[in-house]
Amino acid sequence: MTGKLRTAFGLLATAVLVAACSSSATPVPSPSLKIGVVTDVGRVDDKNFNQYSYEGAKAAAAALGTTAEYVVPKDASDYTTDIQSFVDKNYNVIVTVGFNLGDATIKAAKANPNIWFIAVDVAPCVDATGAPDSTFTCAGDASKLLPKLIGITFQEDQAGYLAGIVAASVSKSGTIGQLGGINNNPAVVRYLQGYQLGAASYNPSIKVVTDFFSTGDLGKAYGDPGFGKTFSDQFITQTGVDVLFQVAGGTGNGALDAACAANIIGIGVDVDEYLSYPTADKCIVTSAEKHLSSAVNQTITAISKGTAAGGVSKFNAANDGIGISPFHNTAITIPGDVQGKLDAALLQMKAGTLKTCPTTCGTWAP
Amino acid sequence: MSDIPGALDAIPLLGILFQLFGYVLANLQYVSNTTVAVAVPITLAALCGVMCERSGVVNIGLEGIMLTAAFVGWFVAAEAAGAMGTGTPLPYFGITMPLVIGLVAALVAGMAVSLLHAWLSISLRIDQIISGTIINIGAAGITGYLYSLISSQSLVGAGQFQKLQVPPGVVDIPVVGWLINAIFDQGPIGLVTIVIVVVLQIMLFRSRWGLRTRASGEHPRAAETVGIDVVWLRYRNVVASGALAALGGVWLSMEQTGNFNAGMTQGRGFIGLAAMIVGRWTPLGAFGAALLFASVTGLSQSLTISHPTGDLGSLINGVPGEFWEALPYIITIVVLAGLIGRSIAPAADGQPYERESAS
Repeated sequence: MTGKLRTAFGLLATAVLVAACSSSATPVPSPSLKIGVVTDVGRVDDKNFNQYSYEGAKAAAAALGTTAEYVVPKDASDYTTDIQSFVDKNYNVIVTVGFNLGDATIKAAKANPNIWFIAVDVAPCVDATGAPDSTFTCAGDASKLLPKLIGITFQEDQAGYLAGIVAASVSKSGTIGQLGGINNNPAVVRYLQGYQLGAASYNPSIKVVTDFFSTGDLGKAYGDPGFGKTFSDQFITQTGVDVLFQVAGGTGNGALDAACAANIIGIGVDVDEYLSYPTADKCIVTSAEKHLSSAVNQTITAISKGTAAGGVSKFNAANDGIGISPFHNTAITIPGDVQGKLDAALLQMKAGTLKTCPTTCGTWAP
Repeated sequence: MSDIPGALDAIPLLGILFQLFGYVLANLQYVSNTTVAVAVPITLAALCGVMCERSGVVNIGLEGIMLTAAFVGWFVAAEAAGAMGTGTPLPYFGITMPLVIGLVAALVAGMAVSLLHAWLSISLRIDQIISGTIINIGAAGITGYLYSLISSQSLVGAGQFQKLQVPPGVVDIPVVGWLINAIFDQGPIGLVTIVIVVVLQIMLFRSRWGLRTRASGEHPRAAETVGIDVVWLRYRNVVASGALAALGGVWLSMEQTGNFNAGMTQGRGFIGLAAMIVGRWTPLGAFGAALLFASVTGLSQSLTISHPTGDLGSLINGVPGEFWEALPYIITIVVLAGLIGRSIAPAADGQPYERESAS
């Protein structure tokens, strides 16, 4: 239950509404920021969330003439102590990477109101006292209760939209597929909804078949590549799709394996999976990406300029928060008009004129 | 409430049955492949259970053995591939030297974990449930930790065993061809599993080893009086059976996929235990139970992937997806509770054996 589960748990994104009316920030001109990054377990150079978040912090630090330190927790029980270690050393910006660290970050932010906390891929959900709310009622206004906690979230539907364009362009059969972990997760659903619209924008007659790995079992949905492979094998043969997009963590890796085994094209999610999941690189055409590095960099820069505000900080095409991975895979031919369509779509997203999510955005309606 | 009879009348029951039959037939080729793929690791776990429990040792550590083997196999193969290169795969199953090394390491690891269970439960005579639980928790923790240390190097595994390719002409034959494809469109571990089931069934009921195993599971003292070394026999069975559960784990990380993921066994060891009980502690029975569970899994997946139409569709699509996902488990419980009659464990199952002459 590690790794890309973070996306899966973007559940907290519902707090966006609460945070939309956040108050203005206290201008803190800080020439000497001490920046600490607490990654998730694993390694800092994981070609995944840890690496790109840290790179963002490093880049921001370099621009400010300081450095960013990092610590990699040994396991989940170290989240709190590792965050505390930066607090004890008087760091004033602490970046925590991924949903798993969300609760520990919220608690630390509550205990240390003078330190900026940046929670990557977390929309803070707090109760009326500012403590983490495990029931997801989110009764408290995080941006007021914890004014120095910034939750970075992403507009997944825009990234999914771009992936949908590529998927439709490389499909020969006219039927493409997408598999999500569980349909109750707004972040997962937004990816899929964007993908559908993006595919239809390239080819209005394309058929997009959608299914979910589970209806409620988190282990099956995000942590079971063997099941992901078996399920996807059946999904691919039974539906005849020739492109498969997956938003399902480790289970999704099984789906990419199935795509390779069936000689169809797979699409990665969150980070450039051609690099992060090399087992399946021969059939991955691209990935729907969250630009973690850019988002962390921008957030730290905003803090240093005194323009940052607590609450949810939403990243999308307008602020280079999402995108699509380069086409590393030379074995897959991309039609010549695709790059143009991607660029045009990105421009429209930036202008806010492109509808990348239906009115039921984040809620799956079959 | 009163309109329920009316609603039932409105559903053309016979027509729905025909439609269901047609739906199953139309999707049999997809369901059958899934059935075999789901059944293989469960069967291997169940066979490990059968071998242990027939000799009188309860082994609920199946999950932990599988997970350990899945990790060790994948990791050792990946390291071997890094050290020596993958080389040219053999024409069948894509077998390469690193894969074989990984497989052997996984089997050894599985047997080592089993040896721990044997030592705890046979020599130290601690509660066998506790011993199995230790193994499950320990394996999940240790493999999860080690994986988190190395996973993110994006270690490219040594690949995976390839499937036997059934000729397309055969695959396209309705029903018969589909079933042949489901059985033979597998890698080496999947194919060997079927052989192991048959061999173990014969061995357990037709060989001297089988008789002795069953004797020490039913009445170890009587077995000892006719000269069977119960302790040694239990040790051998438990350790050897570890290789079977290990195969199930390796299937996940080296045959079905080419990768490890923390906790990737996801309860298959426990489903294997259930299959063992439903199958009344016989290899064939356990295989049958695993196939039953797996076929319902395949069918319920099929229902979400390709929705049936017509009256059947309106009936089935009206049921929440959660029900279909739970159906394999429900069926297992129903079969366990009612249909197969009493399932009786070996009499001395789970009881530590102590020689009378001891002390």
